[in-house]
Amino acid sequence: MGNIPARMEFLQGTLDVLILRTLVAGPSHGHAIAKHIQRTSEEALQVETGSLYPALHRLELKGWIAASWDLSEKGKRARYYKLTANGRKQLAAEQSKWEAFSRAMTLVLNPSEQEG
Amino acid sequence: MSFWRKVSWAARRRSKEDDLAEELRFHLEEEAEGREEDGLTADQARWAARRELGNLASVHETTRAAWGWTVVEQLAQDVRYGARNLRCNPAFTLMAALSLALGIGANTAIYSYMDALLMRQLPVPDPKSLVVLKWHLSGQKNRRDSVVHDVSGFFYNDPKLGKTTAIFPYPAYELLRKSNDVLSVLFAYHPSEKLNFLAQGQAEVVGGEYISGDYFRGVTIAPLAGRLVAPDDDRVGAPAVAVLSYAFAQRRFGDAARAVGQMVQINNMPFMAIGVTPPGFFGVDPARVPEIYLPMQAETLLAPEWKVKADPNKRYLDEHYYWAEMMGRLRPGVTMAQAQAVLGGTFETWVATTATKDSERQNLPEFVLQSGASGLDNLRRAYSEPVYVLLAMVGLILAIACANIANLLLARATARRREIAVRLSMGAGRWRVVRQLLTESVMLASIGGLAGILLAIWGVQALKALLATSDDPFPLSVDLNWHVLAAAIALTMLTGLIFGLAPALRATQIDVMPVLKEARTGEGSTGPRRFGLSQALVAAQIGISLLLLVAAGLFVRTLSNLRSIEMGFRHENLLVFNVNARQAGHHDPEILSFYGGLEERFRSIPGVTGATVTNSPLIGEGAFGWPIVPAGKPKPADAPSGHGSGMGATTTHVLVTGTGFFNVMSIPVLAGREFDSRDRLGSAPVAIVNQAWLKVNLDGVNPVGQRILSLGPGEKKMEFEIVGVVRNARYDEVKGDFPAVVYLPYEQNLSVPAEEMTYLLRTAGDPLRHAAEVRAIVREADSRIPVTSLTTQAAQIEQGMNEQILFARLCTGFALLALAIACVGLYGTMSYTVARRTGEIGIRLALGAQRDAVVWMVLRDALWLAVGGLAISVPASMAASRLVESYLYGVKANDAISVAGAAGVLITAALIASYVPARRASRIDPMRSLRHE
Repeated sequence: MGNIPARMEFLQGTLDVLILRTLVAGPSHGHAIAKHIQRTSEEALQVETGSLYPALHRLELKGWIAASWDLSEKGKRARYYKLTANGRKQLAAEQSKWEAFSRAMTLVLNPSEQEG
Repeated sequence: MSFWRKVSWAARRRSKEDDLAEELRFHLEEEAEGREEDGLTADQARWAARRELGNLASVHETTRAAWGWTVVEQLAQDVRYGARNLRCNPAFTLMAALSLALGIGANTAIYSYMDALLMRQLPVPDPKSLVVLKWHLSGQKNRRDSVVHDVSGFFYNDPKLGKTTAIFPYPAYELLRKSNDVLSVLFAYHPSEKLNFLAQGQAEVVGGEYISGDYFRGVTIAPLAGRLVAPDDDRVGAPAVAVLSYAFAQRRFGDAARAVGQMVQINNMPFMAIGVTPPGFFGVDPARVPEIYLPMQAETLLAPEWKVKADPNKRYLDEHYYWAEMMGRLRPGVTMAQAQAVLGGTFETWVATTATKDSERQNLPEFVLQSGASGLDNLRRAYSEPVYVLLAMVGLILAIACANIANLLLARATARRREIAVRLSMGAGRWRVVRQLLTESVMLASIGGLAGILLAIWGVQALKALLATSDDPFPLSVDLNWHVLAAAIALTMLTGLIFGLAPALRATQIDVMPVLKEARTGEGSTGPRRFGLSQALVAAQIGISLLLLVAAGLFVRTLSNLRSIEMGFRHENLLVFNVNARQAGHHDPEILSFYGGLEERFRSIPGVTGATVTNSPLIGEGAFGWPIVPAGKPKPADAPSGHGSGMGATTTHVLVTGTGFFNVMSIPVLAGREFDSRDRLGSAPVAIVNQAWLKVNLDGVNPVGQRILSLGPGEKKMEFEIVGVVRNARYDEVKGDFPAVVYLPYEQNLSVPAEEMTYLLRTAGDPLRHAAEVRAIVREADSRIPVTSLTTQAAQIEQGMNEQILFARLCTGFALLALAIACVGLYGTMSYTVARRTGEIGIRLALGAQRDAVVWMVLRDALWLAVGGLAISVPASMAASRLVESYLYGVKANDAISVAGAAGVLITAALIASYVPARRASRIDPMRSLRHE
């Protein structure tokens, strides 16, 4: 995957799934979420602040994540987001959609693999 | 529920903003710390973090957008801004809102009446299946040559059908009821004459409806209390019962339920009140709301005995006596056409068998079936035309109001081009600017609409008071029509949008730089074009106002002509009222002395200078009439007989009068003598004739001593000797030529039997001051007799001009309204012109122009506008006034005085409206205005 460009365009709705998936591990604040996505995607996915916070607030409005103020590891006040039950359901639905999609993509792009 | 979250977020918007700011600050710090750990200096790290985040304000903006209430927020902003704008220009706001309110209010009020009158359905289940049975004579054929020998009811001239009526002989009702398979029920009814209703010691006169036994099954209503008339009640020998209307029961017994089971006296006969109709029900004719419903058979009990004795079974058996009206309900699935075919076939076959002569066979009634969903159409026929005239007038007012709004907004939008250019140059989106202007227009329309609603509510009440006569309140309940209100508001809003938005859109398209460079009050590139449209609008307003002013002039002149009609008697200080002793149980000949005794007692009331009695009021309730010719002359071919209104001036009207009648009425006796104590029961029959009768019948002969032949009701022949000639006086109609009248002495009791009598009391002061004494005297004489229709002669005459008075008042009101709105428009336009030309006028003044010349310059512009409007509308008003010709009296439709007067009023008003801006122009300080540039 070495020839993948450093920054990838997000597909519509991708960021929402990534945020929800990230929060499965436990409550987190905006910066940590962005860093986590960057790290786990091996720096392939750069989350822009300009889309991260609108996305977080949109998810909160939909009731998939809930926000509360808490202290960070360094003792600063930070806005922590955690997954709600609805959010978990939404993630499950989105995840299976993505898996089906990515499986289909793989089948089309690498037909030999299936034959072999 | 994301919606509620959205609302609750919106509620704590301030703290949400703070939260977001803190959240982003934390993000920056974290980012900076991370970079510091990567080896950057604190400063570099902070800058890198900042760079990475991008435009902080934009992040704020997009996140806020995710909260989902940007639209609401912007709307609130627009509303605040709009409110500030409207408050800053109170004159503009007031004028615009006022003209809107007047237009909306007047239209809604008038249309609400039209709706109640012309469109409302009967308040009964499934009104659409109700049908009304009628017949007509085709062409110009005369009823007198038909199978119809006698009637109780009326005919009207239908524009399509010709002579039309809803009355049938009773045998036809029975036939149609038994032999048809298209109606589930067929019921009959017949309005009663005024009935004397006595309950709990109190007598009054009420209107009643005689109904067949299945009337209530036909209209399908349930009683509010007790039970309704059933088929068994409408049989010979059945106990006498009555059903009361809700309003009447409520008024007479305090509580509708308490009326049930009460014994009451109707025309001195005992009846039992068995039930009460539900509150909304008013019978089948909106024009006539009965207080009591009686089985048809009861009519035999209640009719005056001399009528019944003549032929007791005539009513039910006579195939040539037309009186019963009918309605039916279509069976489910049956169409009007099918029912028309079946019922029409049955009736026309039957009616052919009743013809006795060839002339009758060639002139047979033709059956018509009409929808009964809205009940009978008597009221609609009477009022629909005046209502349409009024509707046209208020429509014109709305047009003027819309033109006004258009004009004001046009001027404003042009004046605001600079403001818009500034906003566009600061980065406001086009749609955002347009939305802002839109909000303002809608706000203005809302204010006008709200005021319009209040005005409409008041207008409906005011009209109700105007339409009510002293005796009867307006028969229908009128509710504010919300559809019309909505339509009027929508129309004005549309006007506001089109005229507020079109210039605004044009303004947002402009290249902002030239506009910004323009002087504040300078002329824009689109200036002259806008002024042209605005001029046209003002001219149109003036033109429409002229139409209304001309109409007002015509109606006011009509009214004044009517009021100055020569009555032939002195109608001031005259008290008029009716007394009906026969209905309370008085009989011949005692009734004569009873009435005579009352007359004596009225005469002795202090302040009453004279009293007399007649068998009919002179004005407003029709007249008696039958052929009276000089003895030996043939009977005229077509002379009506009976009681009615609108007989020709040459047909003989008959009035039975007491002694001293001519003296009390101040009708001069030209020859011979007036009736006196010599003319009593049994003495030689005498008569007095008027000039009009002489002219027709005995022109050029000395009439006193001549013998005349009266062919009274029922062809009763009788000879009278003329003992006097009196000057012409009105009887029945106020308008037209004086009628030919023969007066007969009441004491001799030789013509129609004394029934309801009218007393006329000449008083020294206000006649109504004696009302209480009159009632007391009648009550003392016989408590079962109510005094009815008590009024002054002057008021009674005015009542006959009700329609003209109403038109004159409303039209004057509308015309003033139109004038006011048009003046507002003119004032606005001239003010705007003056403001626009401040610089130019300043230069003129600086160069030595006289201030008077400046005033004249502005006035001249206004005058041109007015003349332009008049040039179009003077011919238009000449043509349009023909539409109201039938409502005029003594004035031609294209009356020059009315048109000239209206034009004069308009030009004066235009000059006054533009004088204020003109004066302002002349006061411009040249130095200031030039420095201003």
